[in-house]
Amino acid sequence: MAYRAHCLICTGTGCVAGGSFNLRKTLEAEIAKRGLDREIQVITTGCQGFCAEGPIMIVQPDGVFYCRVEERDVPAIVEEHLLKGRPVKKLLYTPPTEKAPIPALKDIPFFAKQKLIVLRNRGLIDPDRIEDYIAVDGYTALGKALTQMTPEGIVLEIKRSGLRGRGGGGFPAGIKWETCRHAGQVRGVAPVVICNADEGDPGAFMDRSIIESDPHSVVEGMIIAARGIGASEGFVYIRHEYPLARQRLQLALDHAREFGLLGKNILGAGMDFDIEIREGAGAFVCGESTALMASLEGKLGEPRAKYIHTVEHGYQDRPSNLNNVETYANVPLIILRGADWFASMGTGDVKENPWNGSSGTKVFSLVGKINNTGLIEVPMGISLREIIFDIGGGIPKGRKFKAVQTGGPSGGCLPEEKLDMAVDFDSLTEAGSMMGSGGMIVMDEQTCMVDVARYFIAFLTEESCGKCTPCREGLKTMLDVLTRIGDGKGRMEDLGLLEEMGAVMQDCCLCALGTSAPNPVLSTLQYFRHEYEAHIRDKKCPGGVCKELITYGIDPAKCDGCHACVRACSTAAIMGEVKKVHTLDVHKCIKCGACIEVCRRDAITRT
Amino acid sequence: MKTIKLKINGIETEAPDRTPLLQAAERMGIRIPTLCHHPLLEPYGVCRICTVEVRIRNRVRMVTACNYPVTNGIEVFTDSERVRRNRRMILEWMLARCGHVPVLNRLAEEYGVTEPRFGRGDDDCILCGLCVKVCSEVVGANVLGFFDRGPNRTVSTAYDRTSDRCITCGACAQVCPTGAIRIKDDQEGIYQAMPMGPLTSINIDFMQAVPRKAVIDRDSCIHFKTGKCQVCVDVCEAKAIDHKQEDRVEEVEVGTILLTTGFQLQDPRVLKEYGYGKYKNIMTSLDFEVLNNAGGPTAGKILTADGKVPKSIGIVHCVGSRDQKYHEYCSRVCCMYALKFAHLIKEKIHGCEVYNFYIDMRCFGKGYEEFYNRLLREGVNFVRGKVAEINDAALDPSEEGKLIMRAEDTMIGVVRRIPVDMVVLCLAMEAKPEAKHLSHLFSCSTGKDGFFTEKHPKLAPVSTPADGIFIAGACQGPKDIPDTVAQAGAAASAALSLIQRGEVETEAVTATIQEEMCSGCQICVGVCPYTAITYDKGKNKSSINDALCKGCGTCVAACPAGAAYQKHFRDQQIFAEIDGILAI
Repeated sequence: MAYRAHCLICTGTGCVAGGSFNLRKTLEAEIAKRGLDREIQVITTGCQGFCAEGPIMIVQPDGVFYCRVEERDVPAIVEEHLLKGRPVKKLLYTPPTEKAPIPALKDIPFFAKQKLIVLRNRGLIDPDRIEDYIAVDGYTALGKALTQMTPEGIVLEIKRSGLRGRGGGGFPAGIKWETCRHAGQVRGVAPVVICNADEGDPGAFMDRSIIESDPHSVVEGMIIAARGIGASEGFVYIRHEYPLARQRLQLALDHAREFGLLGKNILGAGMDFDIEIREGAGAFVCGESTALMASLEGKLGEPRAKYIHTVEHGYQDRPSNLNNVETYANVPLIILRGADWFASMGTGDVKENPWNGSSGTKVFSLVGKINNTGLIEVPMGISLREIIFDIGGGIPKGRKFKAVQTGGPSGGCLPEEKLDMAVDFDSLTEAGSMMGSGGMIVMDEQTCMVDVARYFIAFLTEESCGKCTPCREGLKTMLDVLTRIGDGKGRMEDLGLLEEMGAVMQDCCLCALGTSAPNPVLSTLQYFRHEYEAHIRDKKCPGGVCKELITYGIDPAKCDGCHACVRACSTAAIMGEVKKVHTLDVHKCIKCGACIEVCRRDAITRT
Repeated sequence: MKTIKLKINGIETEAPDRTPLLQAAERMGIRIPTLCHHPLLEPYGVCRICTVEVRIRNRVRMVTACNYPVTNGIEVFTDSERVRRNRRMILEWMLARCGHVPVLNRLAEEYGVTEPRFGRGDDDCILCGLCVKVCSEVVGANVLGFFDRGPNRTVSTAYDRTSDRCITCGACAQVCPTGAIRIKDDQEGIYQAMPMGPLTSINIDFMQAVPRKAVIDRDSCIHFKTGKCQVCVDVCEAKAIDHKQEDRVEEVEVGTILLTTGFQLQDPRVLKEYGYGKYKNIMTSLDFEVLNNAGGPTAGKILTADGKVPKSIGIVHCVGSRDQKYHEYCSRVCCMYALKFAHLIKEKIHGCEVYNFYIDMRCFGKGYEEFYNRLLREGVNFVRGKVAEINDAALDPSEEGKLIMRAEDTMIGVVRRIPVDMVVLCLAMEAKPEAKHLSHLFSCSTGKDGFFTEKHPKLAPVSTPADGIFIAGACQGPKDIPDTVAQAGAAASAALSLIQRGEVETEAVTATIQEEMCSGCQICVGVCPYTAITYDKGKNKSSINDALCKGCGTCVAACPAGAAYQKHFRDQQIFAEIDGILAI
């Protein structure tokens, strides 16, 4: 049946939290009430990426983008847009710096600069329907791989594409596949294919969104990998905290099995392969390959030395190929369009040696002090400035940019002078940060870099498995020193001590969690040493964050006596009559920041 | 295996491909410090102290020596400045948790860490994981595990409760490098620091044992409890260990038998008033012998359970012997060995007070009385009186931790109360409980004390009523070593004289069973005191072994069919005799 229009409602986790499932019900009811149910179809899609503006709805074929849609807006949309063809203006997206709304999705800068490969089907298909995926050329690559390519050919194609592991390490996937295939053949042991969906970085949701919006792309990628490597068994290790992703993935696996794309004799090509989902119990360290495999085996999730690689001796001592969600999701398009096409995007010439550059695109979750929070996919080699200011729409409230942290909790913080740097695996590492799995946290001038380092070290201290001494004890002592500095009790020699601890941890920790853990401290010390010095020498927190070092006050020139802060203050530290300048008693103030939140005139000062 | 070349600290060497670096270095005599490595366990690689610098084709890597497999052409630096800096920092971190662990402090001193920058913590456990690994990998009990994560990680049992899977093998305490694990005995407080029994499950019974071979004690061997361990198999170079060996019953045909089954010591726990097993430092005479032995747990030093030198020791004579409640007889040897103990204590511990509590001194024999007189001169205290009670009820702080001995001194007629550091109980020698069973088996008898009885106390002191079976030693009655040796010599020669002759003189008067009259009722088999009658199932007849029959006539009288008859005392002969007498 042909419909004249489609309403695509985003059902990524962010929009679901905003009520998009109820929105769908209300919309369908409204459409039915108006007798339009034969003309207009409502479709729920995966994450659209622009999570800051959710719940999101797109009306096709007009390509109109509605944001922050609520149930009470439904009658207006149906009445105005679907019946009369006039987009509802108040629901259209207006960039923060402009006045006029932008009706069409393609014109919104957040979307315009992105290049979608991994997220090619986001907002286009219903993730719960395999037919939708097949309709957009899904599983065509698998057909090609099984009927027109040899397993060696598949591995070579991936190798020539220069695809590097998107989980953080950036190890070339093709080389990994080749080693795994070789180990399986030499040892006569069947390899396994494992997908790492244990995304634990705070503020990162790339893998979750990929699975939620396009689970079949991951499944297809895994089947192709299994064909190339010679595996008949696969696992997806997904964290327990992703119920929606798990549910959609399970449905995708069930459908694929129904369609003969998993199981015995796939597509009649004589290949047997099946995938099982295993859930993690919420340990960050289980994203590390050896810890993940220990957990997969049902053991305590702690890493082991990698002098013997998991591609040779991994899960149950079998050769194990571990890639992350995004890596697998790239595979079908590489097979379909060829290695040359993929290698043409990004930096460096990777066809001969994948270590020479970074090809393809990268998905980032853009969060923090930025206007357009959300999930983006950009070509490798794009500059940080383009990501933050063009796609991300800059810093809110007109504040100044201070730093961007990439690569999750163990990544580094890069300052403004690094903004024009091309984003790829090697240049980020060189700058003292890392690609990681693609978390990107933007910080403005009101962020304290000591506090940021302390926050990440506290996270890692909690998530360290505690197996090896330098990680367990080093993080704890590092946290003590950072807390001391934040409390204004630091000493100048603490800076040297932090650097020494960082260097020893990089040398001696057992796994990558430990060796990369000092990055937040070392990179902030490298680029923002003056902030540390301000804390220690001047007992000042330039970002106005560290409670021990700041005092709150009221700027009499700005205060209009609206009384909002008086109501917000829980300790009655602010006094004053309505419409007269208020005063703040620093002895009563607990520096909670509630007054700043409510002040409309920016009259509360922190010095 | 392929051999490869590598350089350690500038010195070229060879090693089998992929051996752990630590092993390769140790073979060259290069020491790399470690705190979590044990040769019997798979490397865990967590203390990171053994991190060294490895150069592979101009690339520098920091690796842990315990589990890094060596490859051809690598260059290793085990003590470079970078390595030392790392070790110093790791030691400071460890001290921040465990500031007072000796092994850590020694190592820290070696690396010049005297004032750790993060302070000193009070924990004992460095989380090296050796105990957890030995419990799962070697012992197979899987009692210990890690709990929580990050800085909160601890080693414990499930739910922090005493585990019923723990076999108290002590392996965890043994591998613990910091002494953080102590084994507690639920019943008796702190486990004895110096166990008196065998120190391990594999032991050689005693130094003079023949054959002098090690045996495995099944009751305490971990392998027989969990099915794992077998560490001994790995370390025995002679490959002599076989856990599948079983006891075998062997049949040997012999002409004569010597019964020398010995004695046992009275169980000291029965004498509750003496508090053995309740208080530390109360030991039996045999315990003291072990303690005093140069090959014993303290290498011959007389020490209390806490490892201190005792200042006073009490020796109690006649424990269980010469006592109406236990054994009426005198054990004969105690007086003299008690004197020997007193002498040895005086010799080894200068100024130690020794108290001998006796009923009366029985120093018979050559040189014995002289020895007693010598001890009197050496200043050993002799208290004539039986000890009534031993306890630890201190009356003032100076008696705290001491054992209080109460006894009536019949010489001066007062009750004395003597605090001492250690007590030795001279226990009675008693017959083994299995002697009764043996006496049936070998057709000899036991007296009321349970010792075997000889054929005649004066004329046949080593013979038994059964021919060819002789007795010697303490199974016949309490006696000392010289007497035992003399009796054993006599028994051996008596046995040899029988063997030498090659034939046995049978009694003239023996019983015989007339086969045709025997109904196979086996009454005679049961009544024969010399086990001379055997029953043949095939023929359903009983027959008498002439060599064993003593002609007692019991079977003749018992046989309901009249099939058994006594040579020279057949019915006809007896009746003829009666007739003869009556004919007068």
